[in-house]
Amino acid sequence: MIEFRQVSKRYDSDHTALRQVSFELGRGELAFLTGHSGAGKSTLLKLILLMERPTAGKVVVGGQLLNTMPRRQIPYVRRHIGAVFQNHQLLFDRTVFDNVAMPLEVMGVSHQDIGRRVRAALDKVGLLSKEKMNPVQLSGGEQQRVGIARAVVNKPPVLLADEPTGNLDPELSADIMHLFEQFSQVGVTVLIASHDIALIESMNRRRLTLTQGELLSAGATMAGSPA
Amino acid sequence: MSRPGRQPADRRARGAGRSHSSARSVLAAYRSHHLKVAKDSAHRLWQAPVASAMTWAVMGIALALPVGLLLLLASLQGVSAGWESAARVTVYLADEVSGADAQALQSRIAGRDDVAGVVMIHRDEALAEFRAESGLADALDYLDENPLPHTLLVTPVDDARTAAGVDALAGGLEAEPRVARVQVDLGWLQRLAAMTDLIARAVWVLTLLLAAAVILVIGNTIRLAIENRRDEILVAKLVGGTDAFVRRPFLYTGAWYGLGGGLVALIILQLSIWWLNGPVRELAVLYNSDFALGGLPLDGAVGLLLVAVVLGWLGAWLAVRRHLDAIEPGEIAGP
Repeated sequence: MIEFRQVSKRYDSDHTALRQVSFELGRGELAFLTGHSGAGKSTLLKLILLMERPTAGKVVVGGQLLNTMPRRQIPYVRRHIGAVFQNHQLLFDRTVFDNVAMPLEVMGVSHQDIGRRVRAALDKVGLLSKEKMNPVQLSGGEQQRVGIARAVVNKPPVLLADEPTGNLDPELSADIMHLFEQFSQVGVTVLIASHDIALIESMNRRRLTLTQGELLSAGATMAGSPA
Repeated sequence: MSRPGRQPADRRARGAGRSHSSARSVLAAYRSHHLKVAKDSAHRLWQAPVASAMTWAVMGIALALPVGLLLLLASLQGVSAGWESAARVTVYLADEVSGADAQALQSRIAGRDDVAGVVMIHRDEALAEFRAESGLADALDYLDENPLPHTLLVTPVDDARTAAGVDALAGGLEAEPRVARVQVDLGWLQRLAAMTDLIARAVWVLTLLLAAAVILVIGNTIRLAIENRRDEILVAKLVGGTDAFVRRPFLYTGAWYGLGGGLVALIILQLSIWWLNGPVRELAVLYNSDFALGGLPLDGAVGLLLVAVVLGWLGAWLAVRRHLDAIEPGEIAGP
């Protein structure tokens, strides 16, 4: 589902963020991306989301080569990738429902379908009763779950998470991880960037470890099963 | 081409039917999204009434000024068209032409298509008038004979009462034998035409400049709106919103600004005309004229609103092109 072949990314200020990174994630696989801050985790996620282009090597997502993707095609690639961020990126000028509905709206989904699918996604993360609230009124854990509902509402085959448990206590973090496991069980490829070592070890999943832009260990490719 | 040919055709038809209905549902969703965005952007303008009203007022004033001047110009041109009816061609005949010949010429000229009427002033008549009005009666007594020729006053038909028409008529009359001189009192007419031409051009230059100003004002307002909704734009781009999707609310906002500005301009124009027309009529009556400022007709009003909407949309489009494409969600993910 996600494939990196000898990918390097160098920024203008001859700072090399990624060096010759190669790995492959299969359908339904859940993997962690670890490393110190500045090790290149965010850069790697940005390459998948087409926020950045690689300097060398190939990035393939869902069978599509992203290197040469024309700019106007980028939105259609992003519709197949759900993304969750540490700071949620929720909009506080609208309700929880409207936040989760955004990916469907940009796709031109009809009104009735939006209602049905948004409620299904909110139900999945246990927030169906709060659809009419403003995200500001929710706790940090609840806000993160709204972010997850938004990321999965259009059933993307790939789900990326950048420090999704960064601000949460261990119990809430475990809840969130449990959600990610459920998505991977239904075939979603999940890649979670995190440096919460204790949590990662308790999950016993495949680990991609970055150090100064190099991939130290890529683990084995075993779709859907613990490494 | 009986059975094997029909089957794929049937399947094609079914497939076409399906894609047709799905195309229709996509179209319906597209339309309902447009409606939602239009409503939402109008709602946002209502939510900030003071700021919106100020933009509308700026736009309204900038539009009302040139349109008002154009209306005034149209009214003036109507008046000068009325004055043109006074255009007359004076034909002086040669000295040796007799009274009978002059009368024959008068009836021949009266038969021309572009002539409405001909009045003949006999040379004796002219002399009598001149004697009475000039106060040179004593001097005239010293002359052996009447120095004045017969004169024909030719009035053109309505269609020929333009500068060009009168010129053509004068040329035709000059070609007549026994005509010594043709005098057209066109000078003041041409001056007036040249003046209104000049004023019209100045008004059009002003119109273009103010239209550009309107576009810039709306562009700047939209630029601020884009800054205010930066987070929303980032998220929309992140979840796969196309450029068109992200631009749409701002283009609608620009169009709404345009519509509001157009309405303000209409109100300003109607109030000004209503306020000015009383004194203008009184003044016109003193000059024996039925001159009045013309209001904006219905199609003119609709046109003004349309132009205003297009200008608003254009301003928004410029701002969106310049500022929206620069917002990329890369910054969300952090360093």
